[in-house]
Amino acid sequence: MIFKQIADMISMGLLVLDEDLNVHFWNRWMALHSNITADEIVGKPLFDFFPDLNEPNFLRNCRSVFTFGNFAFFSQKLHRYLFPFRPAYSDRTPFDFMQQSCTMGPIRSSDNRVQYLFLSVSDVTEVANYEEQLVEMNRKDALTGIYNRRFFETSLQQEFKRSLRHGRALSLIMIDLDYFKRVNDLHGHQVGDDALRAFAAAVHSRLRESDLLARYGGEEFACLLPETNGPAARTLAEELRRMTEETRWVCREVELRLTISVGVAESRPEMGGFEILLKKADDALYAAKAGRNRVICYN
Amino acid sequence: MSETRFSATEKDLLQELMNIGFGQAAADLAQVIGLSIKLSIPDIQLFKTCELSRHMTEEMDGEQEFSLIEQYFLGKFQGIALLALPARSGKKLVTLFGLQDQCNWSSENLAMLEKEAMIEVGNILIGACVGKITELLNDVVLYSPPRMRIQDVRDSNLPNNLFAPGSLAISLKTVFHFERKKITGQLFLIANQDSIAWLKTALNAFMEQYE
Repeated sequence: MIFKQIADMISMGLLVLDEDLNVHFWNRWMALHSNITADEIVGKPLFDFFPDLNEPNFLRNCRSVFTFGNFAFFSQKLHRYLFPFRPAYSDRTPFDFMQQSCTMGPIRSSDNRVQYLFLSVSDVTEVANYEEQLVEMNRKDALTGIYNRRFFETSLQQEFKRSLRHGRALSLIMIDLDYFKRVNDLHGHQVGDDALRAFAAAVHSRLRESDLLARYGGEEFACLLPETNGPAARTLAEELRRMTEETRWVCREVELRLTISVGVAESRPEMGGFEILLKKADDALYAAKAGRNRVICYN
Repeated sequence: MSETRFSATEKDLLQELMNIGFGQAAADLAQVIGLSIKLSIPDIQLFKTCELSRHMTEEMDGEQEFSLIEQYFLGKFQGIALLALPARSGKKLVTLFGLQDQCNWSSENLAMLEKEAMIEVGNILIGACVGKITELLNDVVLYSPPRMRIQDVRDSNLPNNLFAPGSLAISLKTVFHFERKKITGQLFLIANQDSIAWLKTALNAFMEQYE
């Protein structure tokens, strides 16, 4: 009696299945979140109500519980959820379904035989939400909202390997805003910050979804361009240079004229490592900065 | 310390019991994962808790890169299970478990999928082996969720909450081999000093059934 009440009052899902995977017990939490009452589901096959669970992974884990009394863990990271319930307590969650962490284990009869399995379902939507936000914050530059240098370097490393493995083109553009220190000195850092944000947004809007834009340093930016060869990267770089020069940048009612110096490099198999590609693009940028407002391609 | 020493007969008996247990575990595993697996004759060793790193260094091939899955088991028989899989076996396990069909897996997440496949194989193998030994000796254990160990076990200690410093630990090691996938790895079940005392009692009780 007490245990039945606990099972119904506890703030997590609890269900019990028999060896044929018919529902033997369905607690109130499961009923509330699924809109399926215990009367409707008890005695019936679980898969009649949740057909998506009838797949090898779930079945394998059920077998391992019945065969050797094992526990099985369905992490939110891999499975997201087992039961497609709506998020319960938050209207600001980015998830369509409640994120769940589930555990499965044996329930034994008096002769120690595994007679049933239990499945507990915990709602971890909030935690998953925080985790995603933290991951995102760790990848993004706080000022401009584009990716940060750390994420850029990790991605560059991965893309470089991928381009080598599949023989696909990869290019890198390094951008430096010319004389940007003057903007800060003349108009203050707030105007400077706004200019950096506006510039990042403008460049971002001209890139493809597969390209990656990052703030590399103070006023230095990097664009990683998968599936893009040197000439195409150069064309894009030239377009960005022209766009920057021709745009009337208005930040906090201050009109600014901006120009950029751009270094471009294309990945080559003989480069050996992503650091070389980075160095070549940086060398090209250094050369471009000698004259300002121009694009130099590493040859 | 005398109660933690094994006589030659007790050691033989434990060895025999583990042979039976792991034999049954292999048969059950074949049924559960649909793939034949060979488990070697278990190797039993006692060592001081503080000597874990030396023990593991001796037992593991220093040349090979491993991924280590760890899982705690708690009961009268309690300790930590460590499963060493070749570092690159994740990809094979993903196909073995049909995990590649999981939706929404971009290539960036493939590494995580491989990690999860190794964790799942760890959970099933550890559960099968620990479950069989404890079943034969009439105990039921609980498990922590398995996780990938980040720290190199050859350079670390056993957790203090289960293994008192200066106490003894027992290591039951088996080498397993998934035949069709050509994956070989090692499983260590490392139980604490209390478990050693319990093992001795349980072994004697087990023997009495046949006397």
